[in-house]
Amino acid sequence: MDPLLAVIGNHMFHIFGLLAVVGALALVFSRNAIHSIVGFLLSMLAVAGCYLTLSAEFLAVAQLLIYAGGIVVLFLFVVMLVEMTKFKEKTLFQKQAKWAVAAVLAGAVVILSVFWSTWFGPGAAQALTLEGNLGEGLDVAGQNAQAVSRGLFAGYLLPFEILSVILLVALVGAVVLAKTERA
Amino acid sequence: MASMHAVLFISFLLFSVGVAGVLIRRNVLIILMCVELMLNAANLNLVAFARNSGTVAGQAFALLVMGLAAAEVTIGLALVVALYRKKDTIQVDQINLLKG
Repeated sequence: MDPLLAVIGNHMFHIFGLLAVVGALALVFSRNAIHSIVGFLLSMLAVAGCYLTLSAEFLAVAQLLIYAGGIVVLFLFVVMLVEMTKFKEKTLFQKQAKWAVAAVLAGAVVILSVFWSTWFGPGAAQALTLEGNLGEGLDVAGQNAQAVSRGLFAGYLLPFEILSVILLVALVGAVVLAKTERA
Repeated sequence: MASMHAVLFISFLLFSVGVAGVLIRRNVLIILMCVELMLNAANLNLVAFARNSGTVAGQAFALLVMGLAAAEVTIGLALVVALYRKKDTIQVDQINLLKG
């Protein structure tokens, strides 16, 4: 194989991860709500790519369908409904933004110190690696959907059923909340 | 092949950006999107640990989280629309009905 392609293939996860972070930053710091939604879409697509590189194909397709296909469109509809231009966001951020950023940075420093110690500390000797094989005699690469469905319906049937009830509740609740009152 | 550290680090960055967005933005829609971002960071961790441990439970759980996120965003957006009809604003610092 072409060596350049091999290098790119080895760093696919890093590329998708960086794209996800860039999209997230665009989501938080852009002035226009539509631009924020485009950043969100980029982030979700990149996370789907991350799932693909982690050989979770079924989850990647589900991510594309649910987030890129459903949730982004919902957000777009609501942005069109509420007429963002009326607000003319002069002040984009809250008053306490400085303190909030300081708090987030403090938490980030704490977690980064943990990262630092696992990268370079004594625990770094046994670095975690990603295992290729996944689940109950099924091959990840070829049979991901079978493996996921077996895990879901064999071990987690009750949470799955509860989730379906929650979705029904959300459906009815959204209709009731967003309905216009006609006197 | 991506290492575990890279996955955890990317997920940490995504989660931090989500928390910062929830804390500093005034627009309810952006805040909802940042919550989705945090859920995605957690999902990424779940998938990575499922891959690392060689079991499928993490992927199944990530699928459940995805469904729950869809329900949450539906209710959240319905609330935003109702609030906009009532108060004519979606900036969180102007929604202070409970203020004494």
